[in-house]
Amino acid sequence: MWQRSKPYLLIAPATGAMLLLFVGGLWEGVLQSLGYRPLVGQSRLTLQFYETLLSSADFWRSLGLTLRVSILSTLAGGVLGLMISVCLVMLAGAGPFKHSRFWRHVFQLPLLIPHFVAAYLAVVMMIQTGWIPRLMFALGFLDQPADFPVLVQDRFGWGIVLTYAWKEAPFIAWMLYPVLYRTQEKWWEVARVFGSGRWAYFREILLPLLLPAWMTASFIVFAFTFSAFEVPYLLGVTYPQMLPVWSFEMYTGGDLTKRPAALAVNVLLAGMAVFFGWLAHRTGRRFGLLEGGRWE
Amino acid sequence: MSRRLFHRFHRVAVFLFILFIVVPFIPLLLWSVSAGWRWPHVLPESFSLRAWTYLFSPSSGLWESMGVSLQVAIVVTLINLLIAVPAANALARYRFWGKRGVEALMYAPLVVPPYVAIMGLHLTFIRWNVTETVAGVVLAHLVPTLPYMLRPLVISYRTLGFQWEDQARMLGASAWARFRHVVLPHLLPGIAAGVGLSLLVSLSEYLLTLLIGGGLIRTFPLLLFPFLNGGDPAIGAALSLVFAGMTAGLLITTEWLLRRCYGDSHRTQPF
Repeated sequence: MWQRSKPYLLIAPATGAMLLLFVGGLWEGVLQSLGYRPLVGQSRLTLQFYETLLSSADFWRSLGLTLRVSILSTLAGGVLGLMISVCLVMLAGAGPFKHSRFWRHVFQLPLLIPHFVAAYLAVVMMIQTGWIPRLMFALGFLDQPADFPVLVQDRFGWGIVLTYAWKEAPFIAWMLYPVLYRTQEKWWEVARVFGSGRWAYFREILLPLLLPAWMTASFIVFAFTFSAFEVPYLLGVTYPQMLPVWSFEMYTGGDLTKRPAALAVNVLLAGMAVFFGWLAHRTGRRFGLLEGGRWE
Repeated sequence: MSRRLFHRFHRVAVFLFILFIVVPFIPLLLWSVSAGWRWPHVLPESFSLRAWTYLFSPSSGLWESMGVSLQVAIVVTLINLLIAVPAANALARYRFWGKRGVEALMYAPLVVPPYVAIMGLHLTFIRWNVTETVAGVVLAHLVPTLPYMLRPLVISYRTLGFQWEDQARMLGASAWARFRHVVLPHLLPGIAAGVGLSLLVSLSEYLLTLLIGGGLIRTFPLLLFPFLNGGDPAIGAALSLVFAGMTAGLLITTEWLLRRCYGDSHRTQPF
């Protein structure tokens, strides 16, 4: 009896905490998004907030912006991350960057600072009077600040995408690094014996090994950028806003009648995050990407 | 492509990526020591330590907010450690009904944003009288941090079979002695990684602290945010640098402790 109940006792505290704080919170969020407010005598459930939301143009514009920004961020971060992971492997070897521990820490820098500081770096670098326009002016590429494109607090979301790319590329690289680290010099030599070029070696050997970790890392980045608040809050425009910012503004705006709508946005956001997670898992399984590469 | 050309290309690529990572910190440093810096100057026209002296003066609130931040982060991490070690043991080494479900629940905050749950709990927190208190903020921070604590611990537990503990039991070791002398040393890298990540996530948390703390629990990010959102750029830059230094110090200390315990050959992964 003890043996059978032991794992349940071990997981009980952590599960309890998560059930209470996470599942309980989601449950209350769903109830409130359905208009359940017993404090003001409102205990009938209604779908009206979802109906209003789904029929408003604002919601669809916000969703469009949110999807565009998170997809572009994931693609940019994914490609740069792949390149950086290759750089990291080279730093582990010999060559001009022998003090590799120091340089590897340099690549960790974006992982160490929180997202809102990264957003601030983007402001300092890329506003029209930022450091990049100043350098370009000094080099004669620019006559006045207005000639530099609006990249921060722009309607398209370029500032957000660039910040995420800078912040998430090293994250993806660190997820890929252990995989690349296990590949060996010998493999490249064997491949060469069989007449493989560098590109063929990368395509046939490295890429299939990297894909599972790359898919997982990219999905984590996508799920995060889809629902994160701070960077779009600092770098976005007042209209259209990304969904998390929109929900936050409705919730904290002072108008209590808007709170159910804010929670409805949250519930839809969470639902979509779960759907994308399920989709990524399914796609991964279909192509055999989640089992991990075959090493033998 | 000839071998030499290829190697030169490698070097250029590594160099460019290092630039890409490091360059944004340069104007941040310059801003923090600038006294006046108008367009189109590439370097500040005059330098001063005004922002730094302000930060380290009592009126800036830096020390209080750092204290609150550390208090929250440390309590959160201790609670996480207490509940995650047994959970990781069960998830890594036992087979039981409902395991997949528990795993999904534990890692769910990595996919479903924690503020969705915490915004839903807001009214309940008000009923429990924990809004605008450190305790409430600690409870809120548990949601995003627990998965980061759990994951490295599960990985550590997976490589520990039952044989070592059985052996210790046969030699007469008590349950506590078995944990203290057999399990704990094996778990140390996982604990270090989990503690580091949990502290990092808690220290960087803004939205949950604002929602539950109501602006009264002023952690470091809450102090910093107004400066990022159009405040004095010199102070914003200096505060950002303090924050980056604090988290970097945290990571380097963790890594140093690990190296001291395990020798240079031991590598830690962020996940």
